Amino acid sequence: MIVIDKLCYQSKLRYENAGEKFAFAVLTLLICVVSRSIAVAGIVLAVTGTLTVAKGGVPVLRYLKFLTIPLAFLFLSTAAILFHISRTPMDLFAIPLGGWYLTTSMSSLHYAVQLILTALSAVSCLYFLSFTTPMTDILEVLRRLHCPKLLIELMLLIYRFIFVLLDTASAITTSQHCRLGNRDYKTALKSFGLLGSALMLRAVTRSNRLYTAMEARCYDDTIRVLSENHPPKKSVIAAIVLFDSALIALAIWSKYLI
Amino acid sequence: MNTDVILKAQDLFFSYDDGASYALSGLSVDIHRGQKIALMGANGSGKSTFSLCCTGICKPQRGTLYFHGQPVAYDKKSLLALRSKVGIVFQDPDNQLFSASVYQEISFGILNLGVSEQQARDEVEAVIGALEITPFRDKPTHALSGGQKKLVSIADILVMHPEIIILDEPSAALDPKHTQMVNRIVAQMTEAGITVIMATHDVDYAYAWADEVILFHEGKVLLHGAPDVVFSDHDALHKTNLHPPTVLSLFERLCNKGVLSPDLPCPRDLDTLENYLTDAMHK
Repeated sequence: MIVIDKLCYQSKLRYENAGEKFAFAVLTLLICVVSRSIAVAGIVLAVTGTLTVAKGGVPVLRYLKFLTIPLAFLFLSTAAILFHISRTPMDLFAIPLGGWYLTTSMSSLHYAVQLILTALSAVSCLYFLSFTTPMTDILEVLRRLHCPKLLIELMLLIYRFIFVLLDTASAITTSQHCRLGNRDYKTALKSFGLLGSALMLRAVTRSNRLYTAMEARCYDDTIRVLSENHPPKKSVIAAIVLFDSALIALAIWSKYLI
Repeated sequence: MNTDVILKAQDLFFSYDDGASYALSGLSVDIHRGQKIALMGANGSGKSTFSLCCTGICKPQRGTLYFHGQPVAYDKKSLLALRSKVGIVFQDPDNQLFSASVYQEISFGILNLGVSEQQARDEVEAVIGALEITPFRDKPTHALSGGQKKLVSIADILVMHPEIIILDEPSAALDPKHTQMVNRIVAQMTEAGITVIMATHDVDYAYAWADEVILFHEGKVLLHGAPDVVFSDHDALHKTNLHPPTVLSLFERLCNKGVLSPDLPCPRDLDTLENYLTDAMHK
């Protein structure tokens, strides 16, 4: 997650209008999930992958590595759909196990592939967004979409303090290691517990201090901040509309007309 | 001290634990407009608590704080008015920066003053330029170095154009380059007519920089006066865990040896002391 955060600040697409990127990612994701078409999913995977890697400048290997993270979960969950144990063999293949068969039908293979591709393409849409758009820009889009203020303020503070607490945690861990806090399994467990309680206390003091500092700057229960805008480009909007309409057309065609 | 009193504390008492112990115990002090004031004293002597009292964050249990001669009221509106005029730069920027974006972070204070969006944008841009934040303005705050975070936390306050800025150990944990940058910014604040109060442990810097030094001891003002007066008082310095400034020490020793005349005005920096010595050698 920290890697994604670093990469998105370096992305070449970072200064594109956040609304465009958000709309592209979310619309495309919706089309993928609703249509569940293998063709649509394949195209989306290719397009978002190319955009993130070629246009955004994320290293290919790193991107592929990130794609394999959900893959492991997907394979595990689709195994249950793919394999059946039954008394009668099915059409794709059947391995006899005593009086039973470990067997798969053509249709469940198709279903599994469809599921994996749909999920993967949906993830690639989200990756596109998170690899090119800093969190603060996404929050600005959410604010324009009239997402509840409280939620946005919470996300803003949580996002900032993930990093502060991570720093604190790593400093505490280092100091524990320096004092042989992980000498054996038992001490390591104990140290981890202590780390947890220390972090909790630090988080509480931090939040108090932060509140004090915000109060000192005339905080009156609403966080008002300005964001830097990068104006949307007509050509990009046109491209997004065109691409997503084409996807919808393809989805309808492959579902009803074939 | 012929300038007018901008902030006045009279007999302030403040306790964090309902009177079991007092962080401020009868503190009285006058802060004069446009002065450069160094707050000094041992850890726990009440410097930070006093700073928090100055913006109404800590409400003293006894005693009164006057801002421009008016007693400070603690209703929401008066507090906001006070805080728009008195700004604090906290010691640890990580306790102050709440947003991951530098631009958002700096815009927070000025927007709270209720100005128009365009004016706020102009002010933010101006302060980003003035404090040389431009090279890292697009970085997330968690990727900034300690010194860069410090600059942003100062910009946070400067953008609000307060009359008084309180800096809580601004150069703690900064490298010499960033310390110099901060010192330069502090000098610019004074030029802009801002009253600067700085809590610091750096006697040499305080001696060279300040117009007035306030020595805190156990929640009270032990000594308040011009730097050469305060730093010549060895008993007071000893009481507050401080050493005399190097330049002053050397000057005193040279006077004791008869190299320099004790009638000379106390030198504030190395250059002045060097000139004294050159003059003495030529005689």
